[in-house]
Parts: sequence; structure tokens; C-alpha cells
Amino acid sequence: MTTVDATTRSPLVVACLRITDLHPEVDLLTGAVTRDGLGVGLSPADAAALEHALRIAEAWTGRVVVVAAGPRYIVPVLREVVALGAAVVRIPYGDDASDHGQAAELAGDEHGLARAVAAALIPFGTPDLVVCGDHSVDRGTGAMPAFLAHELGAAQALGLVALTAERAGQTSGPTLIAERRLDAGWRERLRVPIPAVCSVEGAGVRLRRAPLSGALAAGSAVIASAPATTTTTHGTDGGADSWADNQSGSVHIGATRAFEPRTRVRPAPDSADPRIRLLALTGALVAHDPPTVIGPVGAAEAADALIGFLVRHGYLDGPPTPPAPPTPPAPIDPGDR
Amino acid sequence: MSEPGSVNETTGAADGSLPLGGDTTPTGALRWRGISFEERMAGVDFRVGARAHITVDSDVCRSCTTRGCVTACPANLFAPTSDGGILFNYEECFECGTCYMVCNSEGAITWTYPDGGHGVVFHHG
Amino acid sequence: MTEPSAFDAVVVGAGPAGSAAALALARAGRSVVMVERGPFAGSKNVYGGVVYGRVLDDIIPTWWNEVPVERWVVRRSTMMMTEDQSLAIDYRSHAWGVAPYNGMTTVRSHFDSWLAGQATEAGAQLVTSTVATGLVRDSAGRVIGIRTDRDGAELRAPVVIACDGVNSLLAKEAGLLPRAEASHYTLGVKEVLDLPAEAINERFGVRGHEGVDIEILGCTRGIPGGGFLYTNAETVSVGVVVSLPHLAEAKVRPEELIADLKAHPSIAPYLRGSHLREYAAHLVPEGGYDTMPTLAADGMMVAGDAAAMTLAAGLWLEGVNFAIGSGYAAGRAADRAIAVGDCSARGLASYRADLENQFVLADHKRLRKAPALVLSERVQQRYPGLLCDLAEGMFTVTNPTPKAGGLRVTRAAAAKHGVKLRELAVDTIRGMRIFG
Repeated sequence: MTTVDATTRSPLVVACLRITDLHPEVDLLTGAVTRDGLGVGLSPADAAALEHALRIAEAWTGRVVVVAAGPRYIVPVLREVVALGAAVVRIPYGDDASDHGQAAELAGDEHGLARAVAAALIPFGTPDLVVCGDHSVDRGTGAMPAFLAHELGAAQALGLVALTAERAGQTSGPTLIAERRLDAGWRERLRVPIPAVCSVEGAGVRLRRAPLSGALAAGSAVIASAPATTTTTHGTDGGADSWADNQSGSVHIGATRAFEPRTRVRPAPDSADPRIRLLALTGALVAHDPPTVIGPVGAAEAADALIGFLVRHGYLDGPPTPPAPPTPPAPIDPGDR
Repeated sequence: MSEPGSVNETTGAADGSLPLGGDTTPTGALRWRGISFEERMAGVDFRVGARAHITVDSDVCRSCTTRGCVTACPANLFAPTSDGGILFNYEECFECGTCYMVCNSEGAITWTYPDGGHGVVFHHG
Repeated sequence: MTEPSAFDAVVVGAGPAGSAAALALARAGRSVVMVERGPFAGSKNVYGGVVYGRVLDDIIPTWWNEVPVERWVVRRSTMMMTEDQSLAIDYRSHAWGVAPYNGMTTVRSHFDSWLAGQATEAGAQLVTSTVATGLVRDSAGRVIGIRTDRDGAELRAPVVIACDGVNSLLAKEAGLLPRAEASHYTLGVKEVLDLPAEAINERFGVRGHEGVDIEILGCTRGIPGGGFLYTNAETVSVGVVVSLPHLAEAKVRPEELIADLKAHPSIAPYLRGSHLREYAAHLVPEGGYDTMPTLAADGMMVAGDAAAMTLAAGLWLEGVNFAIGSGYAAGRAADRAIAVGDCSARGLASYRADLENQFVLADHKRLRKAPALVLSERVQQRYPGLLCDLAEGMFTVTNPTPKAGGLRVTRAAAAKHGVKLRELAVDTIRGMRIFG
């Protein structure tokens, strides 16, 4: 276990993980849920959070600390995390028989858990970035990262599909570029200042595997346990001792407008019989075009055929004019993804 | 789906007695209905890896007359296609090895272990 | 690439064979690493009946106080069945239910993890979620380590013990088992069904930690094999084990065979109201002594299922104990070979000699002809029905017709099932020679 001097100024990236039994067994007779710990692992969102943390720490040449709240059976998973080179701390939470009391209090209290996470991080210094899975370390509500951002006085950007460190030298200090989903496949791009708390979906990245040397060393690693305290001294001074000192304030959002697909108005079927109306609405008895094989054709012809079909059936006015994409926030290098 | 005698019957456990029932066949024997294959597999913990650890050379399968893999695979991963090939899945694989062992065409099925930590995890083996 | 990690021995697989091998080496003060492809020891393993712990007496004294046991088997039943008949030899022993016990039912994820824990406590290292993708050899062709799927990194050691299970890709790569014949393997499929402990106790006639194991012949639609039903603490396990080539030939889906067995009038009452918790499948190397691979090469040994150590000889169906016995012997042989600095096949030859002198190969050698007899057409397809009809003929009361004599009943039953008395005599003598 690495002991980190709180005064060191190397960037600190934290992955805050919800390690849980992904395969609990439900007794069909009683409804009782058994978590035996055999199915314990990282959800796709948490695996993505950890991978993002590792990548950003590499980009910043910083350290990674993983904090997880959970019962003792999550320790084998934390060993795998140690094998990836991260320092690890566990907040007892959930089913630990010996950790009742405060652990039980935290179970339904996102704010309390956020305070406990913030307190557990104090020995490591002030985090520059905390990445969570979008099902956060509480009971998966996703609300914990917001509380944590409040505790740390950090910016927040939640539910992201992409998160990268912005290339150095383009702005005054290190920032992050994040992407979030909008309607109809559009995404908005955010410039996120640090310190920040981000939560990510399980998309876009796959967690790397630990090298053999790391796995060998992790076998005997001691997993530190942080008391489930609810007091914190990170305070609300906006993370003044942060690595970058670029208190640029809030998340910057590029100008966006949502794309709304056109609604197609259909007259109500005129029949006194509700069954007939229902059949007419669902089109259950209407003859449909059989599947048409138009290939093999080039991509352009295929696109024309598809659009032609949509126009023929009233989903599009032809010839279609797609809406302009949202204007991205000004100085972003699109190659940096 | 909960007809009398279904193995999924969920009544009558309160007093410790279990539901009695069952279909009676013409010979008088009790018969217990099976469950769907999907339901059968739903209780198993599979940690699906990114890489397919089974590959099938469908060209070899087109000349195969026995197709032992299709019925013998306990996870039902192999499906014959209309053009004579074999469509395979690897996600819900027990990693037992039945498919390549019963395959009578050398080289049709390439079988390895899934990447470390992935694949089936038996809780009650 | 970084310097490959070097150990005295690398054990591939943290099942019972691998853990026993690592335990033996660690106790001898050797540095040993176990490489397990699953996320924990036992995660890829399935068994079908009883684990016999006697082999542990010399390895872990009073192991029964700590082993993760489901139930101690006090009732062992061998059942022969037809579609609507069954005949069972049912043995029950009080002695099996008290220390030092005879056999137990367990859950492999618990049992194998416990045994691997014994090895790590003794000083062995365990790396999980890591596949051994191949052997590393020196210029002379001697095995000097393995490659893993973690960055392709290598683990080097003078001895590699392959306990990588029934499909042993390492034994095949090393040329110890050039070609695995499907006919030497069976497929086991198993359902674990939820059933409250009180229901198990009432239905199987046991209490507390007492358990039952029922082995069944004649429940596999004529496909050579058998079935089993055994009790865990709050679940029961039911399944069938069938010959691979015959299963493929019969075009029967394995789960249908379990459904048949569960529906049988002799079995269904045990299971009513139960729910499927987990379905599992695994291969079993049932070929016995004559189908075993070469056990040692230069720098390498095989143990457990990888060495076809499962004993499937009718009355005896044992695997985990043979895995532990062979693994521990391999570990000790590796220690001796390292001590004298000769890890060639010749230096590792004491492994086989050790196995011949104890139950592992002695039992296999004595019962080498048993798998063929047990899986033969007459034993599989005709004798269960013959014996059931014999019992029916003896026990059915036919008043006012006088009782038929035993010989007449036997002749009638034999004729009905197309068995000549001479064949019956031949198989009886064969059986006595093999098992006697």
C-alpha cells in the first residue's frame, strides 16, 4: 500500500467504485436475496470509470487512488485494482457483520456516503478528478457523485460517455473534455475544469488487464480500510490546494440545440368497436411490404434506398435536410478524443 | 406458467409443506414439466469476454453430415443455418469442450479458454 | 519486456490437484505459484456426487473440522431403473456420519477455494483470472515455464505441473496426450435445485448434516452413462453423465436426459416444488488407466483430470480424491527433483512410482477394465430392466396362481430383455474378475 504525502503536488485521480455482487441469488419462494460474494465484480460503468481514471492519470502523469464502499467480499476485486497500480482504500459498507452501526447508516444516505468518501481521501490529498460509474457507490442511485462534488467543492459532469484530458498548452490549465448524450444521437461537449467529479457510462472504453507482475504483487497486498466517518476537512474552499490551481469555475457547455424528430399525425380510426380501433392503430392486420433485398450495392445507393423508403412512408419529407449539428465550444481539437 | 405440478409452483411453503401435484401420464407416472432453455441458462453467471474463444469454420461444416455439436452442446450454442453452415455463439459457454470433442471434422471448431477472469463462473459446481 | 518471474515450480490450475501440488511444494519450502484462469479457485469446476476426504488425512489432519461441507453422506444408494421401475441397493451407515467420516457433498466454489487457501497459507502464491496460454521451452525442448495471457508475460520454473483440467491444453501441447478420443470422455450435466433443509431431511430420511447420494443406472435412454442425485445443505443436485460420442449420435439434448430423470416416478417425489438455481456442464475423463497420458516430461508433470485420474468404475465414482492424491504426489516429486537438480522426465519418474504405490494408480490399474464393462451395451441397456423385472417377478403376488420359481423368473426376465444366460454368466465372471 502506497502512503502518499498529502503535500505532494502530483495530480491525484480518484476512481470511486461500486463493487457489488453482480449475480445475487433470489429465493423464488421467499424473495430473499443472497449475496455470497462469488459473483462480485465491477459493473461495466465502474470498469469504464476505472479505465478513464487510469488514462487521465497517465496523461497527467499523476497518481490513481481507488476508493470503494462495500463489504469484505469486495477485497479480491480490490486486489485486481491494486494489480493495475492504483492505491486502494475500502469503506466498510453493506453486509459486513462487524461493521454495523455507521455502515448501516450509510446504506440509505448518499450524502453521508459522499462525506465518508471525501474523508477517506484526505490522507491522499485533494483529488483533482474523481470518476464514478453512473451507478454510484450508494445503492446505485447515481446521486452520490453530486453530493461528493459538493463535499469536495468540485465541478461536476455526470452521465458522460467520453472523458479525456485536454491536450496541454491549449488553455491556461489542465481541463477535461467530456461528452454527454442528447436527443437523436447528438452529443454535447463539455469543458470541465478541475477539480471535478465525473460519472461515466459503461461505454467507449474497456478496462485494461493488469500485468502479470502486478497480479503477482497484488496477491499479498493489504487493502486499507477507512473508517466510515462522516466528518470531512476537505471543506468548501473550492479545493484550494489542488494540483493545477486553475479555478476556472464551472463546466462550460458548447451551444447546443436538441434535435426533435418530427411527429407524424395519424387520424384516430373511426370505428365503434375498440378492437377494430386497436387493430387499426397497431396495424396488426395490415399487409406490410415484405423485406426487400436491394444489395449488393454501394453505401450511397443503400443510403438513398433507405431514405427513399422513409420518404415513401411519410417519416421524412423529401428531399431531407438534416438539422445542423450543435456548434462545438470554441477551441477544441476534434482529434483529441 | 404456474399450472399445478409445475416445478415453478410457488405456493404452500408457509407451513413447511411443499406443493403437491404434477401431471399424470396415462401410465399414472408423475411428470414434471421442464423449463425453457432461456430460464435454465438465466441462473448461470457468465462474464462475457470481448474475444470469442470458439470459432467455427462454416465451410468445413457444410460437408458435415452428423452435426453432433448442434444437439450435444449443453449450452445449445450451435445452430445450423439454411445454407448448410453452422452459426455459433460463445457468450453463454460452459467451456466444457463437448463441441470440439464430438466434432468429426478436423479443424472445423477451434476451441480455447476465454481470457482470464471471463467466461462461466459456477457458484454451485 | 520485463524479466520473467522465476519460481521453483509453476502449477497451472487451482483445482484440487493444483492446490494439493502447490501445498506439497510450499510445505517443502519451495517457491510456487498457482495460475488459475477463473476469478477464484473452483469457479470453473463441477462434480457429480461425493468428495471422499480420506486422502486428506495425511495432508491436513482433522480436515473435517474446517472443510466447507454441505452434508456428510450416510446413505449411499445404487439404483437401476427402467421407464417406470426401479431397484436400489441402499446402504446406510451411522459411522459415515461421525468423524473421521467417509464422503461428503460440497460446493466446488467453496471446497476448491478452501483447498487453495491451504496452499496460500503454506506460502504458495495464487494468481487468478490468468490463462496459461502455452509452454516455454529451452533450446533442448525442455519445459522451463509457461506463457500467460496477461501481456503475454512468462513465468519460469524448472518444473511446471499441469493441473489444468479435463481439456488440458498443456498436456496436448507437450505431446503427453497427443490425441484425446471422444469415447474416453463423458459429459456431465447437473441441475442444482433449491429445496428447504426440512424438505430434504424428510424426503431423504436424514437429519442435521446427514446426506444422501444416489447413483443411477438405466436413466439415459440407452446412451451409455448414468445419473445421480445427491443432497446439499439446502439444495439437491441432480444430473446425468453420458458418453460423448453416443450422446452426439443419439441426437438427444443433454438437458432432456435430466428432465427424464427428474420426471421418473422414483425420483420426482424427492424433487417436487424445487426450483432450478444453477445449471452446469463439464467433461469427465472416464477412460481410466489405459487412456492416461504420459505423466511426466522434461520439466513437466500432469495431475488430476488433466491426467485422466477420475475413477469411473461402476460402484466407484471418484475424482476429487484422485486429483488431490495425484497433485500432492506430483508436488512432492517436484520437490525431490529440485533437491537433486534433475527435473528431466527421469528425475520426475518418482511421481509415477509414488502413484503406483498408493491408491491413485493402484485402484486405476486394478479397475482398468471396469469402464468398458460399465459402459457396455448389456450393462447399460439390458441389465437394469432385467433386474427390475426379476424383482417384479419375485415380489409380485400372483394369487391364486402359485409363485413361480426363481430360475423361471430369471429365465423369463432374461428372455424379455434378450439376454442369454451364458452372457449373464460371462458378465458376472468379468465383473468378479474386475471388481473381485
